[in-house]
Amino acid sequence: MSETFTKAMARNIFYGGAVFFFLLFLALTFDTVRGLPKRDHRENITDSVVRGKHIWETRNCIGCHTILGEGAYFAPELGNVYKRRGGEFIKAWIKSQPTGAPGRRQMPQFNLTDQELDDIVEFLKWTSEIDTNKWPPNIEG
Amino acid sequence: MQFKSQAVAKPYFIAAIALFVGQILFGLIMGFQYVVGDFLFPEIPFNVARMVHTNLLIVWLLFGFMGAAYYLIPEEAETELFSPRLALITFWVFLAAGALTVVGYLAVPYATLAEATGNNMLATMGREFLEQPLPTKIGIVVVALVFLFNISMTVLKGRKTSISLVLLLGLWGLAVFFLFSFYNPSNLVLDKYFWWWTVHLWVEGVWELILGAMLAFVLIKITGVDREVIEKWLYVIIAMTLITGIIGTGHHYFWIGTPEYWQWFGSVFSALEPIPFFMMTVFAFNMVNRRRREHPNKAATLWALGTGVMAFLGAGVWGFLHTLAPVNFYTHGSQITAAHGHMAFYGAYVMVNLTMISYAMPMLRGRSANSPSAQVLEMWSFWLMTVSIVFITLFLTAAGILQIWLQRMGETPMSFMAAQDQIMLFYWLREAAGFVFLLGLVLYIWSFFKKGEVQTAA
Amino acid sequence: MTIDTITPDEILATPPGDLAIWFFIFAELLAFGVFFVAYAFARAHNVELFDESQRQLDISSGAINTLVLITSSYFMVRAVAAIKQGLSRVCARWIAAAIALGGIFLAIKLVEFHDKFSAGISLSTNTFYMFYLSLTIFHFMHVILGMVILAAVMLKARRGGYSAQNHTDVETGASYWHMVDLLWIILFPLVYVIH
Repeated sequence: MSETFTKAMARNIFYGGAVFFFLLFLALTFDTVRGLPKRDHRENITDSVVRGKHIWETRNCIGCHTILGEGAYFAPELGNVYKRRGGEFIKAWIKSQPTGAPGRRQMPQFNLTDQELDDIVEFLKWTSEIDTNKWPPNIEG
Repeated sequence: MQFKSQAVAKPYFIAAIALFVGQILFGLIMGFQYVVGDFLFPEIPFNVARMVHTNLLIVWLLFGFMGAAYYLIPEEAETELFSPRLALITFWVFLAAGALTVVGYLAVPYATLAEATGNNMLATMGREFLEQPLPTKIGIVVVALVFLFNISMTVLKGRKTSISLVLLLGLWGLAVFFLFSFYNPSNLVLDKYFWWWTVHLWVEGVWELILGAMLAFVLIKITGVDREVIEKWLYVIIAMTLITGIIGTGHHYFWIGTPEYWQWFGSVFSALEPIPFFMMTVFAFNMVNRRRREHPNKAATLWALGTGVMAFLGAGVWGFLHTLAPVNFYTHGSQITAAHGHMAFYGAYVMVNLTMISYAMPMLRGRSANSPSAQVLEMWSFWLMTVSIVFITLFLTAAGILQIWLQRMGETPMSFMAAQDQIMLFYWLREAAGFVFLLGLVLYIWSFFKKGEVQTAA
Repeated sequence: MTIDTITPDEILATPPGDLAIWFFIFAELLAFGVFFVAYAFARAHNVELFDESQRQLDISSGAINTLVLITSSYFMVRAVAAIKQGLSRVCARWIAAAIALGGIFLAIKLVEFHDKFSAGISLSTNTFYMFYLSLTIFHFMHVILGMVILAAVMLKARRGGYSAQNHTDVETGASYWHMVDLLWIILFPLVYVIH
């Protein structure tokens, strides 16, 4: 009875299943993207926030930090750092790097201008207001 | 080796192994920076080492996939490769692009690199795993298209087997989903949502088709089991993979600003994701048990079985461990993720590439298998690397559990750095295991140069 | 192998249709099964919300749809019985009837969805509606997939592609269709009726 398990049928199920679940995924994506404005507060994405994200990317912050839990796990979560530390602290911290404390993890000095510092803070502030279903569990991230 | 043009696979495999060595060295640097924070600072900051570590991984796996395709497709299609010259040209282009990119990471600050390579025109850099400068990303697309053209033409003019069709489908999917790396909206939530279309739909989607095809090919060769049987199972396994894995993307959409319902979809479907991996393990053992011949290449058989087991453990079990939303709420973005990442990548994609290389390299050097003494060395390297990755995973898991306990639970949670200081011991152990891994890798390379009596390939 | 030579043991040993579809059915039942368990779990934590929201559902349309699908499943039984006697055209006609009932199911469901959507209900309204919409839309898509499978089988049957000896595809399609029916039979009381 070997013909009751055929390669042709296995193949059809592969193609059918893949297409079916990809369509379902597209439908969910459609619903997600439509509903996002209520959760990401995109009306608050100012030019400063956009520039801040650019600085975030070009300094490769994600190479050490996480943001909303994604990135490297070498340095603290920054998705909620604005709520944890506040804008002034963030700027002072970035300006004072590296600490040079022997044996401790070091963050490079990026020589950001005041404008750039403001931008990165604006980006982190906007990020901290995203509705993340109450993640992280506490303020320490 | 049945067709002359299969020989183009050889430089691909050699480059893959060379870059693998680079990946491990930078991994060791990072591991050491975890315990001695200012090691090599400011020459190689952690973020640079990490970029090199992860990007080398991706690039060498791609070299491995391409080498595998160039070896496998002519044999499956029963015809010479469409254009061996094109394959060699893209080899050098890809190698040069990869090397230049790594040099760029190491030589200049990332912001300078971004500015010099047109990131202000089209900003795609600075996102995890997709840190490559724009020219490199475009280079990857061009190389991928030329490569796909080459192997697709080969399949079109030859025999069309299920294995080559599945491999082609996986490789085309790889190229298509990479295109999402060019989409970088200023809205972080959207950015992250579609970033996963490259990252997740690669490693838990189309790459698994490539993995399945490569494994199936090697199993046919070393066991002599009927192709119909193996291909049938290949289809069933990859069907399960996509049925669970596509919606399984949802396990990345729990906490990044996407709607709450993803917690249900992501949990339900990714809870089923271990099934195809389990089937793959059963499949590999089953085929080897039902073998119709004793292939002289015992090492390749060991790698093939190892792939099944380790992919199930790393991707299946360690994935399931933290995939349910209520658990992931605590584990998300902790060392648990790193633990899972290491074993899953090693178990699935590193090992399937080494399986393919283990089988094909002797053939490319004109013998059906390496000498018994070389194989013994290779098997030692298998066990050293595999056992040390298990320990790396266990240590990182322990580190993760402790980190979560200290930093995310309880009334008075510790700050990130305070918690890190408490888990130093596990980072030291992880680094030690990393050196054992390097030792395994050295033995692996040594096994290629080990002389001894060999049978010439039929 | 003809019907006459099959012993009762063999009937029990191998499921009808292609074994591959049973892997698929198994995976589908598992996915739905986990979803059903998740539903029960969520409901236990939110009984009032679920009761309240459930009262807004249209039980009668759900009940009609249950009858429609069961009848449709019965038609597929007749289709398989017909092909076992070698009656290709009769078989194709029964399949066509099953597909038509599938269409009626979809139409009734669409009216129901339309009501909910125009009332502003979405996946994010509350946990109950997340489950209600997810499960019913997921099932809705399965009905469509089932109809596509049945249509392919019907066309081949009409061309005389099957015989009394060789009709695995018909059984395969029927098995899948019965699963779609079975899922609804669980889903309907679970989501619409049980308070």
